[in-house]
Amino acid sequence: MNDGDNRRRFELLALPHLDAAYNLARWLTHNDHDAQDVVQEAFLRAMRYMGGFRGDNARPWILQVVRNTCFSWLKENRPIEVVGFDENDDVVHDVAAPVADEPHSMAVRNADREQIDQAIAALPIAYREVLVLRELEDLSYNEIARIAGIPVGTVMSRLARARGLLRQALMPGARPLLRTVPRVAKGAKTS
Amino acid sequence: MKPEIDSLQLNAFVDGELNLSSQLEIEERMGDDPGLRAQVVELRQLRKAILDRASYHAPPLALRKRVATTVASNLAALIPQIAGTLVVQRWLGWRPMVVSLGLVTALALAITPTWLRSARESRLTEEVVASHVRATLGQHLVDVASSDHHIVKPWLSAKLDFSPSVRELQLAGSVLLGGRIDYLDGRPVAALVYRQGEHIVNSFVWPTTGAYSAAVFSTERGFQVAHWARGGMNHWVISDLNRQEFEAVVRALDLVGGEP
Repeated sequence: MNDGDNRRRFELLALPHLDAAYNLARWLTHNDHDAQDVVQEAFLRAMRYMGGFRGDNARPWILQVVRNTCFSWLKENRPIEVVGFDENDDVVHDVAAPVADEPHSMAVRNADREQIDQAIAALPIAYREVLVLRELEDLSYNEIARIAGIPVGTVMSRLARARGLLRQALMPGARPLLRTVPRVAKGAKTS
Repeated sequence: MKPEIDSLQLNAFVDGELNLSSQLEIEERMGDDPGLRAQVVELRQLRKAILDRASYHAPPLALRKRVATTVASNLAALIPQIAGTLVVQRWLGWRPMVVSLGLVTALALAITPTWLRSARESRLTEEVVASHVRATLGQHLVDVASSDHHIVKPWLSAKLDFSPSVRELQLAGSVLLGGRIDYLDGRPVAALVYRQGEHIVNSFVWPTTGAYSAAVFSTERGFQVAHWARGGMNHWVISDLNRQEFEAVVRALDLVGGEP
């Protein structure tokens, strides 16, 4: 396949997913300027690796490139956000589903755009990415697993955790959740 | 007692990601278990709240432009490698596809003239050749037949939204035959017709907002074609003259076009 064919293919396959690419980058980087840089870089990378793409649905493929570009960019520019994500966080502590109650339910129903946006933005990035891919891009667990480079089981647990955190964050008076805090055993002194 | 349904399963259930038998089992249990039902309802409310109200960030225009330009600049780099008419065929072949790219590309078309120039030139070259052939093959060479520019110019100005420069060419064997209104680049244009020896020269003029550009010569199906922009006017000239004579005509016309 020559360059011309590749580029033509690229235009048809990749450009229609610019919206999804930007939305993901915007949610991962938190701001417009950085998201634009990342998407531009991701499309360049995608163009370069176009030949390696097989199949007819380019959206997960493009999102994977955008996701990886985001993470390299963050590692470079805001390492604090991506390093030190404790894999133990993936262990869902309260495996039993939280009991539904009316105050939470009402808080969710009444939450406005700003509250929802803030709650999602406050999620740790590992939770945020699976949530955005699931809810805003409507991707399957399998697709999300491929994009984020994690097992399907991890997608499940992160998604459950992300929703649990959102539910808490939307309660009136909830403190913004910037990071999950490891549980401290009862009676243990915090130093 | 059936095992407790954990949070992971419940989330997978509302996402429709469980296998069919587990999916049905939970549905069945929801019937007898109000607590489970309430959990499912609440998860669905959360999903709906996110779907309805979380921001879906649309890329700013500037980004569409940047990305389209990136793709386009790589396309443009490809053009010089392909010779002659192949360029035309290639661009013509691309046009339906370019159109189908929708908004992203449509914006790029509007914003990145440098990329488009090649496509536009190819298309215009085709139109100019077609117009020349139509005029010389048929009887309709001129709408106003006169070798006097004092007659041709007002006639054209009255029918167009601009006033083209019309002069006799200061060349041996050159005669102004007249002018007509033609249609190029999606608009009415002035066509000035000259005879140079036994050859017909069609010279098309219409206003442009583009900057000055030097004359570009090409050969299209045996015709000599040249175009340039000067003084706010686009000039396209075509003839079956040989290259040397054609260049002389273009030089003479360029001087004409340069006058206010």
